[in-house]
Amino acid sequence: MSRGSGIVLAAIALGALGLVPVVASDYTLSVALNFLLWSALALSWSLFSGLSGYVSLGHAVFYGIGAYVMVVCWQVLPIWSAVLLAGLAGGVFAFSLGWPCLRVRGPYFVILTFGIAEFTKYVVVTIEAGLGRTGRLLIGTPSLAALYEAVLVLAALSFALFAAIRRSRIGAGIIAIRADETAAESIGINTNATKLALFTLSAIIPAMAGAIMALRATYFEPMQAFSPVTSFTIVTIGILGGADAPPGPVLGAGFLVLISELLWARAPEIYMILLGILLVIFVLFVPEGIYGRLHLLAKPARR
Amino acid sequence: MDVLLSEQLLVSALVLASLYGLVALGLNLVYGTMRLLNVAHGEIVMIGGYVAYWGFSRFGVSPLLSMPVAALIGALLGGVVYVALFRRMLRESRLSVRIEANSLLIFFGISIILQNVTALAFTADQRGYAYLDRVVHVADVSVEENRLIILAIGAGICLCCAVFFRYTRAGSAMRAIIQQRDAASLVGIDVERVNMQVFVLGFALAALAGTLISMTQQISPFVGFPFTISAFVIIIMGGLGNLLGSLVAAVILAFVEVYGVAIVSASFRSILVYGVFIAVLLLRPQGLFGRSIAVR
Repeated sequence: MSRGSGIVLAAIALGALGLVPVVASDYTLSVALNFLLWSALALSWSLFSGLSGYVSLGHAVFYGIGAYVMVVCWQVLPIWSAVLLAGLAGGVFAFSLGWPCLRVRGPYFVILTFGIAEFTKYVVVTIEAGLGRTGRLLIGTPSLAALYEAVLVLAALSFALFAAIRRSRIGAGIIAIRADETAAESIGINTNATKLALFTLSAIIPAMAGAIMALRATYFEPMQAFSPVTSFTIVTIGILGGADAPPGPVLGAGFLVLISELLWARAPEIYMILLGILLVIFVLFVPEGIYGRLHLLAKPARR
Repeated sequence: MDVLLSEQLLVSALVLASLYGLVALGLNLVYGTMRLLNVAHGEIVMIGGYVAYWGFSRFGVSPLLSMPVAALIGALLGGVVYVALFRRMLRESRLSVRIEANSLLIFFGISIILQNVTALAFTADQRGYAYLDRVVHVADVSVEENRLIILAIGAGICLCCAVFFRYTRAGSAMRAIIQQRDAASLVGIDVERVNMQVFVLGFALAALAGTLISMTQQISPFVGFPFTISAFVIIIMGGLGNLLGSLVAAVILAFVEVYGVAIVSASFRSILVYGVFIAVLLLRPQGLFGRSIAVR
């Protein structure tokens, strides 16, 4: 697929998705919202983890921080300013974390990100308990359609960002780091700055998504907002779809939301078991993901 | 601060330390020999707990007699997981390049599967039983019998393992692989066979620990995860692949946890464990006793 036809295709998809609230029922709309939400989260995760090979298992921390900023700013700031502030908070948090954490490589990075997300969760739980707030309610949040459009913007933004970064100089740098960090450094790539920049960028969208989803939930409960299940789901989507090109996470999110709609309400255990089996199968047999596999099948001649 | 000097607290910390030692040992073996990050380790602990629970509440079998059964089930599971999933992965260079990240994801898949299969089979209810919970007085300390048993068995098995690694051929082979994987196969160690043994032993130890844990605390399909986390803190603190180091770290973490909670409050337990976790990873990723290692 050439670059031009890709852009046309993306624009058509965007237009079609933008019209969903006009034509669809509330149920369809909420399914579409979930699909866009997971696409946005998985795309932002892939922007750093997919390209750099530093698997982050703590993306939920940014989502949770976004949600927390939203409830703290509720009725203090205008709603959409609070969403932007949440994004800023996520970025600042990632920037300050990235400096010490990104020196740590391989399996240490994976468990470190997870540990930090859990640590932050329990700190917020303790703060909220200290303030005597158990669960905050948000009353008078925007309509489902408005939230849908906001998440659509986030998903489109993260798609465009991922596509742009991947073609850019910094993208080439981070892919070189994934291949061999020492070699990348030796040819003049500022590896620390590159990693930090992308880690920070990858945190902004999940924080904004967390803020919007707090409005959707109309309440805030730290154990839920910072739930590690969010991180795990994001990683699973990235693995299933393929985290190396923008369509990958979108395909992964679509696939996951589909089986979740079919199974989650009726048989949550079966859904989780299926997810586990898929994860094992994909890591072992389809490490390039659905999109990567399609891509290989479509272009056999070039290889 | 009288409470800090009480023997009760000391016994609690020692009991927890022996459990942690057992759980972390298996995890460390699997990591040390094959560089596999087994995040499903706690789920094997959980399964051991269910074996003891069902044995006791359905058939009236003492948890002490369920222990070999649980170990056998753990061992079988370890063998199956190794043969079905990891033998291929370790052989194939394309997959073993990023073996740590990949193994973590695969074990994570296994962990979800085990949790939810258990939830489906036995429901997500908390389950517990009372076994030997009579309080006895040893010197000035009042303590339940079952906790003394845990302490004795846990410490005993750790000791047996230490002897096994020190004085047997199989144990030496495992240590050799931990130290120098390639050189070990050069001197004639059948690496694949030892890998298999490590899986069997590591999983059996986890299941054993599970039966002990079920004597004093309630179990549910999701009870394993905190143990996975604690075990990871321990093996990183002790140095990945360093078996003795992980035993020392188990004692340290247990004391930090028990005394920390006594000083502050129970709600700080998670903050404390994760705080130690992050601090160790950032400050001494090679472990408290490790030489500096090349981080790959």
